[in-house]
Amino acid sequence: MDAIDRVVFGDNQFFGINHMSQEKAQQQTLRFQDLDSIFAVYDTAFEAGIRAVMLNSNDRAAAICDRFRARASAYPSLAWYPSIPYPHKYANLVSEKGILGAVNSVVFKDSGALSGLGRLAQGGFALLSRDVVQMAKMLIDTEMRMFRELDVRVVFLQNIITDLLLGLNAPDFFVEYCEHVRRKYGALPGLITQNLPLLRERLESWGISGVVICASINKIGYFMSPGVEAYRVALASNDPAKYPVMAMATLASGAVPAPEAYEFVNGLNVQSVVFGASSRNHIVETLRHIAPAGTASPQASFAPVGAAS
Amino acid sequence: MSTNTLNVGVIGAGRMGITHHSIINTLPGVTVTAVTDPSSVVTSLLEKYAGVRAYGDHASMLEREPLDAVLVCTPPVHNHDILRQVHAKGLHAFVEKPFVLSSAAGHELARMFDDAGLVNQVGYMNRFNDVFSRARTLVGEGLIGKVLRFRSEMYSGTIVREQEKANWRATHANGGGAVYEMATHAIDLIHYLFGRPDRVGGTSLTPVFSRDVEDIVSSTFYYRNGPSGTIYVNWSDDSFRKPTNKLEVFGDRGKILADQHGMRIYLREADPARGFAAGWNDVYITDVFSSVPFYLRGIEYTAQLDHFVACIRAADRRPTRCSFADGAAAIAVTEDLFRDHAATVREMN
Repeated sequence: MDAIDRVVFGDNQFFGINHMSQEKAQQQTLRFQDLDSIFAVYDTAFEAGIRAVMLNSNDRAAAICDRFRARASAYPSLAWYPSIPYPHKYANLVSEKGILGAVNSVVFKDSGALSGLGRLAQGGFALLSRDVVQMAKMLIDTEMRMFRELDVRVVFLQNIITDLLLGLNAPDFFVEYCEHVRRKYGALPGLITQNLPLLRERLESWGISGVVICASINKIGYFMSPGVEAYRVALASNDPAKYPVMAMATLASGAVPAPEAYEFVNGLNVQSVVFGASSRNHIVETLRHIAPAGTASPQASFAPVGAAS
Repeated sequence: MSTNTLNVGVIGAGRMGITHHSIINTLPGVTVTAVTDPSSVVTSLLEKYAGVRAYGDHASMLEREPLDAVLVCTPPVHNHDILRQVHAKGLHAFVEKPFVLSSAAGHELARMFDDAGLVNQVGYMNRFNDVFSRARTLVGEGLIGKVLRFRSEMYSGTIVREQEKANWRATHANGGGAVYEMATHAIDLIHYLFGRPDRVGGTSLTPVFSRDVEDIVSSTFYYRNGPSGTIYVNWSDDSFRKPTNKLEVFGDRGKILADQHGMRIYLREADPARGFAAGWNDVYITDVFSSVPFYLRGIEYTAQLDHFVACIRAADRRPTRCSFADGAAAIAVTEDLFRDHAATVREMN
């Protein structure tokens, strides 16, 4: 299976997502209201050597992708790690229209066709399983449209969906998702989760592999269920050829200082790190602390690499 | 009742129903075995993919399934009737907020379940938020002295355009509107901190996009020998990306500003025993979060179901952290709000 990038540049900073402070999140939203300021940060990240981007398919991502396509020559050999869907879009739609109504309005919004799904839902018919699979694929394709013509390496499913299906114990959805991503996008399927040990255990028991798992991995166990120790155990025994692991939330929303945070992550069997930052200093600092690919091992204890470089 | 594994049935597979289904299904020794929903599309999906037995109505499920507990996640207008049937079957019950639409029905159910020794809980998950529960402890311990004032606010961009067609959320009769669906969270949080207010006043209910229900709620709560304070709830404010709760409690020795993610504490004098300096102190969610066995949508969602299961397994029948009696108290306050608002409107006309 193809190797994934050791370092991926994330997007939370652009969209007012800050799990610790709503005030800070609002300040960030203000700063990144225009595309130029977002691209100024991207340019800084690329100058620092990053060649991979994770982007959630939210309202503003389409415009970001448009600009990347329009200036393709300025951004050669950029690897894309989209995550789908944008959960809040669905959250409000589901409140308003119910689950099927929400799916319906998203999938059929642009086509103008009278939706077969809507009629089914209202008419009280049972859905055939091929309809469900078809519907799920259409949802994925709707979300993926904005990433067309970009070099997509991994398509991640957002944790709210991954973990919902994980709890429901619904293996067939995972099978279909992985197949569709491989076949249609020539990319690796990816699953974002806040429950890595359980997800990996279930994937193994379902016989699903070749999946990138992206999970919060930080020293204090923030967004890591059931806890740090279970993550240590799961990662130590993980085969990265079957389940490459990408760490997110490594700083636990700023609760752990970068040197400590990456000393912890570098010491684990983790193949990749996604992080977001909005200043040159933070980007360069973070890169200094992340150990290069292949040097980390679950047994090794690493000194901060920043000290050496 | 089965001895080890708890068999759980879910009534209503909407957004909250499937969330609770997913979470409780991962807790050790708990399995969701049956689900009911009026939509046959939904039931056939859950049957096929989640491996549960599915029913079109709760009566059939309660009749046929050997269950220990149910999660009731239906529009609140149905809950009184459903919970009476659940009680008749001797099952423990967790019910989504706002529980029921009249305090009389709520008190009746609270009595019925308590008398039968059945565990009963309402899904006001702010009581399980680590920041709010820490704030409650600190206030209770007297950190900010005698409490004089509070503000409980909630914002979201839930209803930000005219509603396309009528669903159950469009009328008060079915439990729709910002009072039942959102303000009850702010009300319950105040109830959790200070108990039920003795009086409400100055209530104002304002529609923004909804036709027959309010989208903005504000009111003042009074306590005979205690503080007073306000609630302000607006679910048509799309400047908030996510639903946001804010709580401010002002005392004669300082104040606490809290939201779901952290709090700032201002103290006139240092409190070395608790590690707080004079002036401003920050407490982040990362300082106080509790670990849960499974995460979906928020720690508090799992924490409340974990608590429900623990209460079922416990030998004694202590009330849950958010019992039916608590749910009835929150609904009693909504009755006060509607009454107060109607009186003002009458006077003005």
